[in-house]
Amino acid sequence: MDETIKLEIRNMTKLYKNGDGVKNINLKVRKGELMTLLGPSGCGKTTILRTIGGFLQCNAGEILIDGKNIVAMPPEKRPTAMVFQSYNLWPHMTVYDNLAFGLKLRKIPKPEIAERIADALKLVKMEGMEKKYPNQMSGGQQQRVAIARSLLLKPEVLLLDEPFSALDAKIRMQMREELRKIQTDLDITVVFVTHDQEEAMALSDVTVVMNKGSVEQIGSPYEIYHHPASRYVADFIGEMNFIEAKLGVHTAIRPENITVRKGPGGDLDGTVRNIMMLGHYTEMIVDTELGLIKAFLSGGEAEEFVRGEAVSLYFSETKEFSE
Amino acid sequence: MGQAKETWKKTLLIVAMLAPALLITIGIVIYPIINTVINSFVDAETGAPTLRYYTYLFTDELARDHIVYTLWIAVLTVAISMILAYLLALYLRFSDTKISKTIGTLYLLPRFIPNLVTIYAVMTIVRDSGLINRIFMAFGVNFKPGLLFNSKGVIMMNVIFNIPFATMIIVAALSGISESIVESARDVGASRFRVFFQMILPLSFKDVMIAMVFIFMSNISSFTTPYLIGRNHPLLLGVYLRKTFANREYNLAAAISVVIFLFSAVSAFVYLYTNLKEKDWESRAPQ
Ligand SMILES: Nc1ncnc2c1ncn2[C@@H]1O[C@H](COP(=O)(O)OP(=O)(O)OP(=O)(O)O)[C@@H](O)[C@H]1O
Ligand SMILES: [Mg+2]
Repeated sequence: MDETIKLEIRNMTKLYKNGDGVKNINLKVRKGELMTLLGPSGCGKTTILRTIGGFLQCNAGEILIDGKNIVAMPPEKRPTAMVFQSYNLWPHMTVYDNLAFGLKLRKIPKPEIAERIADALKLVKMEGMEKKYPNQMSGGQQQRVAIARSLLLKPEVLLLDEPFSALDAKIRMQMREELRKIQTDLDITVVFVTHDQEEAMALSDVTVVMNKGSVEQIGSPYEIYHHPASRYVADFIGEMNFIEAKLGVHTAIRPENITVRKGPGGDLDGTVRNIMMLGHYTEMIVDTELGLIKAFLSGGEAEEFVRGEAVSLYFSETKEFSE
Repeated sequence: MGQAKETWKKTLLIVAMLAPALLITIGIVIYPIINTVINSFVDAETGAPTLRYYTYLFTDELARDHIVYTLWIAVLTVAISMILAYLLALYLRFSDTKISKTIGTLYLLPRFIPNLVTIYAVMTIVRDSGLINRIFMAFGVNFKPGLLFNSKGVIMMNVIFNIPFATMIIVAALSGISESIVESARDVGASRFRVFFQMILPLSFKDVMIAMVFIFMSNISSFTTPYLIGRNHPLLLGVYLRKTFANREYNLAAAISVVIFLFSAVSAFVYLYTNLKEKDWESRAPQ
């Protein structure tokens, strides 16, 4: 991957009149990289995306694309394209016209427009829908047209605000793969907003975990998962057990990093409270003096245990967070 | 059987209750209208059927002046009111300041002042010896606005009366256009100018048509304003109607009424047409 920085946000603050918003955001996205902004509802993901797109003026800080500050530019002058959370296609235009609008503004000859639209519709599996109006399509279909509309313009930075939220699991997977493919083919830099950690893990080169208007951690999905920088991140990403062995110190252990054996003598001992088959793995809840602990076992291992049995837990990877 | 009798009684009661309203409507609305239409085709002297009043209205130069003048004033009023109202509505919809909010709550208030009061109030201000003149006089300039007893004044008054209503309709239409439509258009590179002509205008077109029809209709038959501050020739049809009536030319007056009615009917047709014709994109999704 290219090492040049495509998009950089420096010390950016955007506060709404009521005091909500985002504070002191610093981000760097390299050319051709896909960065996800991940966090619970209301943490400021859309706010950041909208300041990059130019739909919100930031109170402080800079936003640079290719080293140039774009803060003063109106949206139409920015080399960004955004897929909005509400997909907002233009209701009085057909799918074709929706897709053609931006291309016409760029004075692209008609035959080429038609060709590119056909390709784009194929990409999002919406062939033959050219003549439909947005109100004649389902939410997922509209969302795919909106994605096609942005991709067509080959933006330098593509901003996606939960673009797959209205799609069912299967199309969502397909679209993820397509997006990844298009993104590498066209070498587009992408900022992708989601509150779905699985989606973030699957897609990103870099994930930004956010909490209440500020950044908690920036890193690769691997780093975020295995080396969470704070208790918040550890808790938010994946499953995590927290035990307070010493006062004020919380030890975090992922359920898959726990080995369960019969009898006492482990890092922590307890009794089996519940065993649940969850497809290809089994979840075991163990009652210990430090609270309930969740462990994941492979199907075969779990067979040996019964409810109420005394067991010992061995931790292979732990992390400590002090308050 | 008893059941049927009950229903009968009920129906009778309903008819009895509706009868007065129905009779009054027939008596004071429908009968005079029919009567007027008939009269306009009847020669006042001989009582024979005739087209002479219509021929007169559309061929006599003076009479035709009135009709053309009325249409002209109505069209100008519609055009100027709509442009100003649209600009105001755009401001109210897309500006988020204290001033715009204040205007947004106040702009309809003038509608609650009786027209006559407004006209006299405006007259005292724009009269050639009125407030404006006196303010200029204080600076030693004898400026006369020259807005009374001519077309300019009538149009100005009409515009003042129609802006609140037109603005209200357009504001309602514009608030149905979500911010995100504008944003996504600008995102793909459309200038504000283009956003207006390709997004906002087409999406509010229907309501603009409706507002235009209403303004046109109310101005084609306007009376108070032109009567008080209009000029002597040509006359607006409403004033002309009163003049012929005062001259006891009742059958000619009837023909003028019918002409006014026809203009209104045409606009009503335009209204129904735009309102009933639903484009594909306007219908609700089948869901
Ligand atoms: N126009 C606005 N005016 C005032 N406050 C706003 C506005 N838009 C968003 N907020 C507030 O700013 C915070 C961040 O909102 P934002 O839309 O960025 O969240 P988000 O992370 O995108 O959430 P979601 O996952 O629900 O889309 C929230 O607390 C929200 O209430
Ligand atoms: Mg959001």
